[in-house]
Amino acid sequence: MKKLSYILVAGVALMVGASSCTKDIKEINKVNPGQFSDSDPTLMITGAQLANVLVNEGEAARLAGIFSGHHNGYDRQFISYAQYNMTAGDFNTPWGNLYTEGIAQCRIIREKAARANNKSLNAVACITEANLLLTASALWGDIPDSEACNDAITAPKFDKMSDVHKHAIALLDSALAYGAAGQAYGSAYAGSYDWAEVANTLKARAYLRMGDYTNALDAAKNGIAAGNDLMADHSQATPGAWNLYYDFLDWNRSGYMSASGSHMEALLDTGSTKCRNNAKTDELSRFDNYFLVDYYTPLDPNIDGGIFSATNNFPIVSYVENELILAECYARGGDFPNALVHLNNVRSSNAATYGGQYDAYDLTDFASPAEGIVEILTEKYVSLYGQIEPWCDVRRTKNAIGVTPYTGTQLPQRFLVPQDEINANKNAPAAGSLFDALELWPQ
Amino acid sequence: MNKKSLLMVMAASACAIPFATAQTASPGGSTDGDTLNVGTVTVTAIGTTKSVRKTGYTVSQVQGKGLVSSGESGVIQALTGKASNVQITKSAGDPGAGAYIQIRGQNTISGSNQPLIVVDGIPVSNSSFGGGTDGVVQQSRLNDLNPSDIESIEVLKGAAAAAVWGTRAANGVIVITTKKGKRGMSIEFSSTYSIDQVNREYEKQGTFGQGSVGKFAANAANSFGDRIALRDGSDSINPAGARFVSDDGTVYGAYAAVPTSATNSSGAKGDKTVYNDANRDQVFRNGITMNNNLSISSANEKSNMFFSLSDWNQKGIMNGTSDYRRTTARLNFNQHVNNKLDVGLNAFMSRITSNRIQQGSNLDGLYLGYLRTAPDFDNTDYRGTYYSAAGIPKFNAHRGYRRYLGDVAPTYNNPGWTLNEQTNTSDVTRFTMTPELGYKWKENSKFIARLGYDMSTDRRITYFPVNSAGSYANGSFSDQNIQESELSMHFINQSSFKLSKSINLNTTAGYLYTYNTLYSIGGTASQFIIRDQDRFAFINATTENQDPFNSYSELLNNRLYAVLDFDIQDKFFIQATAASEASSTFADRFFSPSASLAYELSKDLPKSDLLSYAKLRASGGRVGVAPPAYIWNTNYVSAGSSSGWGDYMDASLFGGSIYRSSTQGNPDIRPEMKTEIEIGADFKFFKNKVSLGVTYYKNNIEGAVLPITVANSTGYSNQWKNAADLSNKGFEADLNVNVIKKKDLVVNVYGNFGMNRNMVESLSGAAPIFLQGFTGTSSRAVEGQAMGAFWGGKWARDNDGKLLLDANGFPQAASEEGVLGDPNPDWRGSIGLNGNFKRLSFNVLVEACQGNQMWAGTYGILKNFGIAPETANEFTVTADEAQNIVDYRGVSIAAAAANPAAGNGLVMTNADGTITCRGNIEDYGNGKVWLNQYWYTGLGGGFGSVSEQFIQDASWVRLRELTMNYALPEGVANALHVPGGITVGFTGRNLALWTKFPGVDPETNLTGVTNGRGLDYFNNPGTKSFMFNIKFNL
Repeated sequence: MKKLSYILVAGVALMVGASSCTKDIKEINKVNPGQFSDSDPTLMITGAQLANVLVNEGEAARLAGIFSGHHNGYDRQFISYAQYNMTAGDFNTPWGNLYTEGIAQCRIIREKAARANNKSLNAVACITEANLLLTASALWGDIPDSEACNDAITAPKFDKMSDVHKHAIALLDSALAYGAAGQAYGSAYAGSYDWAEVANTLKARAYLRMGDYTNALDAAKNGIAAGNDLMADHSQATPGAWNLYYDFLDWNRSGYMSASGSHMEALLDTGSTKCRNNAKTDELSRFDNYFLVDYYTPLDPNIDGGIFSATNNFPIVSYVENELILAECYARGGDFPNALVHLNNVRSSNAATYGGQYDAYDLTDFASPAEGIVEILTEKYVSLYGQIEPWCDVRRTKNAIGVTPYTGTQLPQRFLVPQDEINANKNAPAAGSLFDALELWPQ
Repeated sequence: MNKKSLLMVMAASACAIPFATAQTASPGGSTDGDTLNVGTVTVTAIGTTKSVRKTGYTVSQVQGKGLVSSGESGVIQALTGKASNVQITKSAGDPGAGAYIQIRGQNTISGSNQPLIVVDGIPVSNSSFGGGTDGVVQQSRLNDLNPSDIESIEVLKGAAAAAVWGTRAANGVIVITTKKGKRGMSIEFSSTYSIDQVNREYEKQGTFGQGSVGKFAANAANSFGDRIALRDGSDSINPAGARFVSDDGTVYGAYAAVPTSATNSSGAKGDKTVYNDANRDQVFRNGITMNNNLSISSANEKSNMFFSLSDWNQKGIMNGTSDYRRTTARLNFNQHVNNKLDVGLNAFMSRITSNRIQQGSNLDGLYLGYLRTAPDFDNTDYRGTYYSAAGIPKFNAHRGYRRYLGDVAPTYNNPGWTLNEQTNTSDVTRFTMTPELGYKWKENSKFIARLGYDMSTDRRITYFPVNSAGSYANGSFSDQNIQESELSMHFINQSSFKLSKSINLNTTAGYLYTYNTLYSIGGTASQFIIRDQDRFAFINATTENQDPFNSYSELLNNRLYAVLDFDIQDKFFIQATAASEASSTFADRFFSPSASLAYELSKDLPKSDLLSYAKLRASGGRVGVAPPAYIWNTNYVSAGSSSGWGDYMDASLFGGSIYRSSTQGNPDIRPEMKTEIEIGADFKFFKNKVSLGVTYYKNNIEGAVLPITVANSTGYSNQWKNAADLSNKGFEADLNVNVIKKKDLVVNVYGNFGMNRNMVESLSGAAPIFLQGFTGTSSRAVEGQAMGAFWGGKWARDNDGKLLLDANGFPQAASEEGVLGDPNPDWRGSIGLNGNFKRLSFNVLVEACQGNQMWAGTYGILKNFGIAPETANEFTVTADEAQNIVDYRGVSIAAAAANPAAGNGLVMTNADGTITCRGNIEDYGNGKVWLNQYWYTGLGGGFGSVSEQFIQDASWVRLRELTMNYALPEGVANALHVPGGITVGFTGRNLALWTKFPGVDPETNLTGVTNGRGLDYFNNPGTKSFMFNIKFNL
């Protein structure tokens, strides 16, 4: 029996020994074998750019488009959205995309790029961050910026819309100072863009929003040249890469959103009193490029062979926008001949892109300078279909082009402060109302 | 204490595999859920036994036969209603569906609220991998066990009972003891045939057709169309148009171009048939289960052995491929080698194959497509060939009410497609081995070494053929293999000492080591290359559409503990426990102390027939919850952005990008700490005829770990923190009354009652935590509310709580969201009657759950679609009234009637000038308004932003179980050569359900075994069962 005891004790000792030696208990859960603990900044920039694409082409663009009259809600939640019935929770996702996937990453990249003295990457990160900030501020007005994305600050304060725009302009100036050029670090984008031109057009966009037409004009003069649009790359026909409007309208949420009853329809439909066709203009081809009749709804944004087809790239900043900024700035400065040059550049670009008739306008075509400005703004409204910027113009110009609200008498002026931010940031203001005017754009 | 009883105590506290002489240790004679069987023993948290009389904490004991007679396939589900404050919620009525167990409320936010399961002294897995707002209903691994193998289950609810398990014990411990061989030899064979039926269904309106604004429209989402009864009788078909030819040759032609007009609301549609019943019968059937069990039991002085085989073969209540088959084998063996040495082995294997049906918020789910189907659409033919007008065929076309010709995939699956064409298998193999050795190294000391290895693999295939709805239109296939293992080593030494004449001490010291791994590997293939052959192969997709994934986690844990049990004057029983634990998920050792005291008051009272027994007990302790693994660091993750509507950008398609995760890690994380006290008493009255146990408890959980929501402007969305404090307090009572006890007639009444108040005391100021659900409605942890509180959009109200109305007199949405309700019940209870009359034995159990709310997500959506009967009400107004009553748009009834765009399904002017409208009249405080399509598809329906209106009372009372068993007369049994007897029986489960909740059994949950509770959104339904069984004892 004694022998048995020894065998038992030895056996137990063996097992205990085995259990304590094989694995160090303190190390096992320190690092997740399926995750990384750091990354090179050159590997991070594409992610931040895709967040920029998602915001400028995804949900934020759809909602901005409903508020500007580009789109209309047709089914499910989008019916309420087009009745301007929204709650703060509806805005959580784009806000999260902007900050956690976009701005935060850009700031890390800039810091890492500065340490590695990679100016080219730093320039691209500055441009990407400026683009994100400008989009965020266009949607919400005052937003966290100076205290945002800083590990030491848990409740970032909200900066004034004008200060955010100034900061974005400063970032773009830094990018230019770093020698932004060419197409380095642009995996998310397509087109023969040039970073310096992109930075200048973004600057022009910011100044224009601030009503600073002189500086906007100066920046736009160095902006995007014909054929050099910065496009989101959707050349792969697969979810996760293809056109986001296509994904929403056809792949995931068919019938939710329509063009039926939209201001855009009214401008292009020959049966409408607002139709833009005239002796020099025939937009029927553009109508066909923009719309499908009776697909999921009476009039759908064209996801089958048109502007939002699966593999159609989407403009982030374009030549057309730059030209129309030039046109508006010249016009506001009283230089109508030059304004017409740039408006006509866009018209000939339209003819090349869509077909149809876009004969050059001359001064006699407009009864007044004001009418000319309305034409420039309307052209921009139509040409930037699906983008956020037309909603900015509508608000900046107190709805000079006469978009009819879907309900009531006012167009929405802003997104609500997201519920997630209200809940967690004691410095966040109240959600507010969709109809509260923003600092830069009093109504 | 005399020598004999000392020996008894020693035997009883010895070992889960008792000495051959310790047959007395097996608990006998207690009724279901009765905690008060003085003189019987209970099994402790580490699998040893202890006299119930001497415990200072609550234990609920459930006997194996009670589990089997419930007729549930799973052990967890069978526990329902059998113990106070033990809440079991089955995910759905699908065969093999998992269930959520909650003992005395919720104790953690991000961790699991599921109790630890200990089988024969070894922790085993009860994981439920997966669970969300879509997909299929997953199993719980505890269901792999065969309920017929179980001798008894002890539910240890409090911290004191469970402290030896340290950070695994916060949610209680369920201790399962499997059967041992009984003296002599017996063979038992039983067979059960059972029929399952859906126990609650949604009503669908059958008055108005598919379409909008009162007119028919093919392929339309909603059923706000024309009046079916006013159609002309047959459809107008375009003979030269496209067509769908079903697999059986039925031809469905394209509707002719007959436009709807002011006088024709039905267009080309003429068929008056309402298909609600046919469509319902396509979905449901009687579920059939065959369950066969064979067991052999044998024991003598030297050994005992229990062997069993079982086969549970179930076809679910949903047509097509819904099934669950579990085959198990078990061998429990113990050899009494000599006076000192015992060696034993419990071995178990189980194999489960199952086909599941897609459910939930899922375009390819069953209920979503079925319930939304328009009443005038026939779902029968769902698969066939589409021919264009030019005669070009498209094979394997899918016809559904959103695409009646099947030219492209319909927006929602036809239920026939969901049931028959999609594949969702789970294929599980499970092994549990528990070798054990007991060595009595001194007269008063025994050493036990127990090894446990529990391993399961689950292979899951998910297959959507080409032309499935939504994003699977080009086909999708995934194959996933999940492997889980738990290795444990447990060493126990037990000694007993007689300290003085009246004081005995039993000591237990133990060391427990557990090592757990969870490994998952798999891949998906989408956008099939070959579109018409069902093959489970990744090569049927181009490289960019093949997507592999894997995940791995391991946990290591070791624990030392000691238990002192004092027995003073056989009247005071004091237990003190201390455990110290190290774990790979937190930095410092965690110490769990506990103590309990029992005082047998009746020993100091004069003997009385009125109060025959009384015990007071008090206990307290501290246990913990281990934080999740791998939360120390902020990770860098594969980049991607998603909008929440399905559209996303994936960096791996753009050359890859790895950036910082939006979840911030925390190296200072420590275990959550739960402190609990409980006091209680057990009484027996009237010569032990009535027994009553009552317990009050209160606990606090400090530093619950969770990824708190942080302001996104910080650059993070979440941060791991010991941020929350939770508390539970409650009361529970268990009662048993021997009403009659005669030779031929025994009647017992039994019941239990439990109430728990849970509160999220603090989230350290963090925002409400999303647990499960949707953007608009979710189950959350909110400061100052019970866990799982509903959160979502509310009506705008003024300071007095009065609705703020819009210009047309309709309520409006508030711009901020808030708390809407509480899914936790005020109380739960059950009452039962059991006993026997001559050869007949019976059991009836009625269970109630009151004061819980649930989100009627499905019902809200059915309003939006014009399917809910409420939306199909009609009313008639005079021409004058019609001028003043407006709808959500502000359009009056008169104006709507005058508008040629409105069809007869919206408004209809009668011959006498009155106007009949579809919808309802409501007055929100500013005069009557007309609720119609525009309201229901807007704020008044499930897609509007106000979910407040769909939070509903989900209290229920149900006839949980009705069992009758009849033992055939011995003469008959003997004549059939079955000497041990033959028993035939019937069990009905869920035979009756009383609840106000619309459409579905409120005892289901969309998000399965997750911490998000009370969500209903196209969940697969619950069931009721009728079971017939026969048992032979050879």
